[in-house]
Amino acid sequence: MSNFLDRLTYLTRTPETFADGHGITTGESRDWEKAYRGRWAHDKVVRSTHGVNCTGSCSWKIYVKNGLVTWETQQTDYPRTRPDLPNHEPRGCARGASYSWYLYSAARLKYPMVRSRLLRLWRDAKATHADPVAAWNSIVIDPEKAKSYKVVRGLGGFVRAEWDEVNEIIAAANIHTIKTYGPDRVVGFSPIPAMSMVSYAAGSRYLSLIGGVCMSFYDWYCDLPPSSPQTWGEQTDVPESADWYNSGYIIAWGSNVPQTRTPDAHFFTEVRYKGTKTVSVTPDYSEVAKLTDLWLNPRQGTDSALAMAMGHVVLKEFHLAGKSDYFDDYCRQYTDMPFLVQLEERDGRFVAGRTLRAADFKDGLAAGEHADWKPVVFDANSGKVKVPNGTIGSRWDKSAKWNLEMRAAADGSELWPEVTFVKKHDDVVAVGFPYFGNIENDQPIFHHTGHDSVLDRNIPVRRVKTKDGEILVATVFDLLVANYGIDRGLGGGNVAKDFSEDIPYTPAWQEKITGVPAARVIQVAREFADNADKTHGRSMVILGAAVNHWYHMDMVYRGIINLLVMCGCIGKSGGGWAHYVGQEKLRPQTGWLPLAFGLDWCRPPRQINSTSFFYAHSDQWRYEKLEVGEILSPTADREKWKGSTFIDCNVRAERMGWLPSAPQLDRNPLEVAKGAAASGQAADAYIVSELKDGKLGFACSDPDNPVNFPRNMFIWRSNLLGSSGKGHEYMLKHLLGTQHGLLGKDLGESGGQKPQDVCWHEQAPEGKLDLVVTLDFRMSTTCVYSDIVLPSATWYEKNDLNTSDMHPFIHPLTRAVDPAWESRSDWDIYKGLARKFSDLCPGHLGIEKDLVTVPILHDTPGEMAQPYDVKDWTKGECDPVPGKTMPSVVVVERDYPNTYARFTSIGPLLEKLGNGGKGINWKTEEEVEFLGKLNGTHLKGAAAGRPKIDSDIDATEVILSLAPETNGHVAVKSWAALSQTTGRDHTHLATPKEDEKLRFHDLKAQPRKIISSPTWSGLEDEHVSYNAGYTNVHELIPWRTLTGRQQFYQDHEWMRDFGEGFCVYKGPVNTRTLKSVEGKRDGSKEVALNWITPHQKWGIHSTYSENLLMLTLNRGGPVVWLSEIDARKIDVADNDWIELYNANGAIVARAVVSQRVPEGMTMMYHAQEKIINTPKSKATGNRGGIHNSVTRVVVKPTHMIGGYAQLAYGFNYYGTCGTNRDEFVTVRKLHNVDFGDEVPATAAE
Amino acid sequence: MKTYRILSLLLGYPKADWLAHHRELKEALLDERLLPPKQLGNVVALLDSFTVSDLLTLQERYVALFDRGRGLSLHLFEHVHGESRDRGQAMVDLMNLYKSKGFEITAAELPDYLPLFLEFLSVCDPAEARETLGEAVHIVAALAAKLKDRESPYSAVFDAIIALANAKVDTAFVAQAIEEDRRRDESLEALDREWAEAPAFDGAGENACSICPTAQPPRAIAPTAPKPAQEAAR
Repeated sequence: MSNFLDRLTYLTRTPETFADGHGITTGESRDWEKAYRGRWAHDKVVRSTHGVNCTGSCSWKIYVKNGLVTWETQQTDYPRTRPDLPNHEPRGCARGASYSWYLYSAARLKYPMVRSRLLRLWRDAKATHADPVAAWNSIVIDPEKAKSYKVVRGLGGFVRAEWDEVNEIIAAANIHTIKTYGPDRVVGFSPIPAMSMVSYAAGSRYLSLIGGVCMSFYDWYCDLPPSSPQTWGEQTDVPESADWYNSGYIIAWGSNVPQTRTPDAHFFTEVRYKGTKTVSVTPDYSEVAKLTDLWLNPRQGTDSALAMAMGHVVLKEFHLAGKSDYFDDYCRQYTDMPFLVQLEERDGRFVAGRTLRAADFKDGLAAGEHADWKPVVFDANSGKVKVPNGTIGSRWDKSAKWNLEMRAAADGSELWPEVTFVKKHDDVVAVGFPYFGNIENDQPIFHHTGHDSVLDRNIPVRRVKTKDGEILVATVFDLLVANYGIDRGLGGGNVAKDFSEDIPYTPAWQEKITGVPAARVIQVAREFADNADKTHGRSMVILGAAVNHWYHMDMVYRGIINLLVMCGCIGKSGGGWAHYVGQEKLRPQTGWLPLAFGLDWCRPPRQINSTSFFYAHSDQWRYEKLEVGEILSPTADREKWKGSTFIDCNVRAERMGWLPSAPQLDRNPLEVAKGAAASGQAADAYIVSELKDGKLGFACSDPDNPVNFPRNMFIWRSNLLGSSGKGHEYMLKHLLGTQHGLLGKDLGESGGQKPQDVCWHEQAPEGKLDLVVTLDFRMSTTCVYSDIVLPSATWYEKNDLNTSDMHPFIHPLTRAVDPAWESRSDWDIYKGLARKFSDLCPGHLGIEKDLVTVPILHDTPGEMAQPYDVKDWTKGECDPVPGKTMPSVVVVERDYPNTYARFTSIGPLLEKLGNGGKGINWKTEEEVEFLGKLNGTHLKGAAAGRPKIDSDIDATEVILSLAPETNGHVAVKSWAALSQTTGRDHTHLATPKEDEKLRFHDLKAQPRKIISSPTWSGLEDEHVSYNAGYTNVHELIPWRTLTGRQQFYQDHEWMRDFGEGFCVYKGPVNTRTLKSVEGKRDGSKEVALNWITPHQKWGIHSTYSENLLMLTLNRGGPVVWLSEIDARKIDVADNDWIELYNANGAIVARAVVSQRVPEGMTMMYHAQEKIINTPKSKATGNRGGIHNSVTRVVVKPTHMIGGYAQLAYGFNYYGTCGTNRDEFVTVRKLHNVDFGDEVPATAAE
Repeated sequence: MKTYRILSLLLGYPKADWLAHHRELKEALLDERLLPPKQLGNVVALLDSFTVSDLLTLQERYVALFDRGRGLSLHLFEHVHGESRDRGQAMVDLMNLYKSKGFEITAAELPDYLPLFLEFLSVCDPAEARETLGEAVHIVAALAAKLKDRESPYSAVFDAIIALANAKVDTAFVAQAIEEDRRRDESLEALDREWAEAPAFDGAGENACSICPTAQPPRAIAPTAPKPAQEAAR
């Protein structure tokens, strides 16, 4: 039957039902649903990341609607790892997730800002001087005018300005400075290029083109572990976090993995399911302590004692007991254990001297060129002393024998180096080892022992005939074992038969210093080594900033590294050292270098190690309280060091070509170059004669002379003054010339020891800098102190690249939306500045010759400069020879009016001189030609025909095309270049990926894995995770050290003078910052506590620490942690306000009283902002400072060594470090909390 | 409605170009007489004061007040959504409102910037303008109160805006805002209160997390008061 008639033709019954009446159809409005639909709708999803100074490099999806960022979520499309290895994703943390706030925050910098006092001066000057450079001159030469805007730095009074106007001021200041004082008086600081490498390169390219100075960050941040260059000749190279999963035993040593490495911590947890044991070493009950199977809690700053005791156990139970063939083979081939050391007689005893070299023998052992640089071993096969392949001499002698094959360099015969003479020796002699563990610290929480300052221990030696006669030699291994205090049945004292003896460095000895039970130490050392033996090196130590920020950090790090090397863990999957502090591997480094330092137009660039720079120019040296004699080895010649101060050491290092200088000479380098040209001499000959005649000097000898002031400073991508300004108050006083909280007296007032090689001015200058320019996207503490603040694009508003050492991918930052308000990307800011600079040059600067001094550089043949004793030409100990005994001298031509044309194009030097890094050089014409096609070429102007670098994307393509890591063709070329030096074919590591070439748009589609490159020591392929030293061990490529091996022994004269030939225990130093402020006591109960500044959970350095979400999760303002015991001593309860002060300055914060913290220590999470909730300090009368207000840098002479193989300078590779952990503060309760009145410095005043 | 436009100018960054027209602006205000006498007088007084001060001083004052932090931010949603992810969607909705009336934002500004919002209202139908302004009046009132507290003459502009709106001010919201603002300094007790952490769960289920997306369809400007837990950290 049909239902035809039941159906209506014209009408529909409402509501219509379906599904047997379970559903009905209605026609009412459904507009309300739009809200739900629209809530999760978006126009596009863009990939970006957060380029904070954190090692995350996490992939995020940015949702954009109507040109606005609406929300963000974690990406989950990383390339897979391989079977049996967890994947990387999702990566991210709470900090990153709260980021989009910055984009539209009220704290966002929206417009270029200038302090109104300066702007008024500028506009007035412009009214009378049509020429902007003359206008700037009229301001800075007038002391009244200059002072008027400097003294209000940090006190507000900003107004908005137009881009054109601020660019004009900056360009005029730069030109005036270059013309009057020299280009090396313009400096710029930016850290961690890897977090946004194009943004870094923008500023450094501008500075390098005009002859300005780029400042290092890694050593200044104290994240550089100098023991890495010392041991391996490498800045830092570490495993990716996925490699933790390959480990069988992990010690997290001073690294708070779950808190500071949030996106990676899952590997640390997952590997435990495979049965891997984890141990934490932290003084406090930290987050990582909760996560691990075992927690060791040494007293902070005493970690090297613990490490030495563990080494004692391993050497005795494994090496001396012959328990591990694996260890034995590994150490023979990959370490300096078999190398021969001369014994020197001093004060009636023997001490370890330098390594024996081929040149010590009559015919140089027939080992060819550079015999001075070829250390030797004793070959068991022939019974003779021989030079093995792979020493630094072989690296540069073109013999293709720079490899770790067990062969003699002279004839290629097979070699079996003897590691010990204990069974076959000519004699046994007592050798003195320095001991520092008996030095008493002013603070009783640090314990010392009563052992002698020199410990004589018996060593098996052989007699060797050199060209100068017969001498005694020992192997590094025999000396090392003695250094660790282990009895070998050779008689004599100061060696232990048993772990329970109280002799340095037994487990029982360390218990007195660290407080860790000896049994625990023995257990962990045994387990660690046992696992390494059975798994062939799969034992790992993740170590962090906590142990690297001490004055004697090298001893902690070398103690740990020794442990890893003696257990054969370096270069092995799942093994090795994992130092994740601040450097964030810049994977496509060699593609980036030419872009960043303008190497395509002129070489060399000017670079400076920042710690020495700030020590000198913020006059921290004027307040030095530590004396060189205090840290000198008891076996050193004290007469030689008498009267020397730390700044003297630094000045000598600069003059001897060890460290760079900025400013360089005491005269404008443009003038010096003119003088050289006028003299008719070659530049270096001219300089030598001027120096000898005393007509020319180094600027470092007189840092307080106005001609030697740094004048203009750029700061970008950094909160230098709010986060990393060690000696914050010194910077405020001397560099900026503004209000400061400095409480201590300088050497003039206190009558301390003044330097020998530095001119002393009774009155210290204040306000050395004429102009401070900061680029940022938020009003940071540094911005507050700047003269001009430029609003930069955030991480969702610019195109850039980002890499990390935590994973092997290269990641983009992408312009999801246009820069908000008036902000611009760093690239566009410096590009605009370069244009204005060029426009203003005519009439002031044209094509100029600039004389650049360059220190002796690592990874160049020049690193073989000073093979033996230290000789200072200024004392007549040798002749000044540029590049040998003093810095090299290079004349660079600068085309100032074409700075913009050069900035935006690739220069001709890449085709002419090639490209490369770390001592490997290859041709790169094809890539430059390709970039011309990809980016287009300039049609006219000074750069006509050259490939363009107009936009930030163009800049990324330059990096990606030139780098072996992102261009397979270049990778093959670079491996081929290395093969020339090693004599072994390495190209098989890259040929499978030869045609792989990454473009910026590929990265936007998915983060891409990099290609293996010879400038790194790990491999990135389908079979192994990235791990440092892998190619050294598996491809037999030597380490870039004197011996070509991993070095237990540091034989440089200064190393021996400071007792660091071998690793020893050195406790915290006495900073003496409490006594001079005793007058500030107000009757409150006080306690002296060790000042520790770890990384935080609610911010990354200073970023995020003013973010409302993060502040809410924390306590909303500055807090300081202290123990219940110490809190009780000063009647402080949780959340009370407390004041902390010492001679350097003062801090006011809330107390967090916690069981987590041990007695004697107080912690302030790194870099909480001064712009948030900071009341006044009673001690200074000013607003309380930041965590660095109570710190001051003390430089260490061993970090200044140069001209000596791996101990030669490299930017961010070696240099003095900004240590800050040895400091103490006085803590008391703050009874009256006064936020003070904000008195803005109005323009009308 | 020129009055809206003039108020918008007054809240913008002090610039020579529009200050040069101050007489014209004043006349327009007096002509239009949209404001009650008292508010009108105060705004005119402010306008007059601009002519006697030096421009850089005016600019410095402006930056110190409005460019420095969230307390006096001229971005309306700063006071409603703060750092919550709701803010993005709220801005998109407001942009759609402008679009529906045939306007696009061409300046480098966000849609919730008060001077921009006022300019939009100046070209709306008067009744509609009053209505729309009513939704934001709580925030304006809070800002007015904070400025009065700091004895800033700028409060005149905010009082004038309140007078224009067709809505009752939510006094509780204003009281809370002003209290928060006062807490920014001074007494120990107030600081302690500010630092106190709100309980994550108070048992009643009302103290919902202020940063989670709300289930309600968002309105152009939802007058939800900031939650103590969020504000506490300021």
